[in-house]
Amino acid sequence: MGEGFEMTKILGYERENGRIGVRNHVLIIPLDDLSNSAATGVESLIEGTRAIPHPYGRLQFGPDLELMFKTLAGFGRNPNVASAVVIGIEQNWTQEIADRIAKTGKQVEALGIEGSGDLKTVEKASRIAKKMVQDASEKRRREYDLSSLTISTKCGESDTTSGLASNPTVGVLYDRLVAEGSTLLLGETSELTGAERYIAEKMATPALKAKFQKMFDDYQKEIARQGADLFGSQPTQGNIKGGLSTIEEKALGNIQKAGKSKFVDALDYAEEPTKKGLNYMNTSSAAAECVTLFAAAGAAVHVFTTGQGNIIGNPIVPVVKVSANPKTVATMPEHIDLDITGLLRFEYDLDEAADRLYKLLVKTASGRLTANEVLRHFEFAPTKLYISA
Amino acid sequence: MEKKFLVHAKQDSVGVAVADIDSGEEVEGTLMDSGGKVSLRSQDAVPLGHKIALAAIKKGEKVVEYGEPIGVATENIQKGAHVHVHNISSLRWGKASR
Repeated sequence: MGEGFEMTKILGYERENGRIGVRNHVLIIPLDDLSNSAATGVESLIEGTRAIPHPYGRLQFGPDLELMFKTLAGFGRNPNVASAVVIGIEQNWTQEIADRIAKTGKQVEALGIEGSGDLKTVEKASRIAKKMVQDASEKRRREYDLSSLTISTKCGESDTTSGLASNPTVGVLYDRLVAEGSTLLLGETSELTGAERYIAEKMATPALKAKFQKMFDDYQKEIARQGADLFGSQPTQGNIKGGLSTIEEKALGNIQKAGKSKFVDALDYAEEPTKKGLNYMNTSSAAAECVTLFAAAGAAVHVFTTGQGNIIGNPIVPVVKVSANPKTVATMPEHIDLDITGLLRFEYDLDEAADRLYKLLVKTASGRLTANEVLRHFEFAPTKLYISA
Repeated sequence: MEKKFLVHAKQDSVGVAVADIDSGEEVEGTLMDSGGKVSLRSQDAVPLGHKIALAAIKKGEKVVEYGEPIGVATENIQKGAHVHVHNISSLRWGKASR
């Protein structure tokens, strides 16, 4: 065991509800596509704010609307966010998002554009955001256990090096974090195909197993209902170039990230975990959508393994990118936070690789910027369940 | 002989190249579960991350990696051959394209 495992403390921000975050964003949330201009307007005027423009939020209904609310409010509620301004064309849904964020105790304001126009709204929101940024800047980082964080993982542009090296490294890391009392998230329902039995068998209770199995089966039925299968989408062209031949092979590599722990819960899209330990969340396997769902559920740091070189980021959650593919590390070095290619050269073992990843998580959680943050990869990709009204 | 591939489990019919393998090269692999060694001569060039057949696989037989079927052989595959989308196919998806 390396020295990194004595260094389990991070410097984070405690929020009003006791949750620990690792960033101190003032978030400008557009409720809908029409409000993107005002939100990005505020972002360009006020240093230290971040807007999350997106193409949705109008005429959504039922579970799709509820997921959109959960996603937008979840970003405001995330402990990496100090305070938030919500801007929407109409006041009522805008206020709904703000009310959900306010339940965490953090400062939030809701502004409707109708009756004021963009310019007055931008001015009002900017004056509010200026004060929020100054207040947030007073907040000091303090020492907490790494295990106080919610951490998520996903792989992308995977290849066989993911299944051989980077995903099993996350598996070892996840086992250690479970032992320390972390709250951990793992998803990617479509990319379990061929290996779903392993995840089902790791559910802590028969009821959870049934809940997970229904999520998986519902997804397979949805594909069948479209008269399709995912051949051609899964594995992707990038996966195939990297040597992955079938969805089963990709899935067996994917599940290495889960480690040996039992799952304590099976969560719906963007549902905030309530149990410490390893949680399954129903998600898409598309990188930005999946990380967006984890961020909305309160993840403070994301661990992303890549084979062929996925460059994804997130607006509020640092995405730590790990690769064991020497070609990717050589050709796309600016995107990779941790090079563990030595695993494939037999220079060190999985425990050592997991140790290096753990140390990098501690540094990242304490303020070290990730590649995605420096390169401004801030993909915000809400999951849409079906067509709007 | 160079260590150029890894094998996830002892039941596996394929190994995974961890460095580019030339056609006709004598290469050694390591079993990840036991640390045991296997060696063979490659029949094709196998790029890093791609699979090499550890034994002959007949058309219609399941291809095993991680101790699990990852697909089915769509043609006879020689020991030492490159194993990929040209000679194996998913058991789950893509049946219509076969």
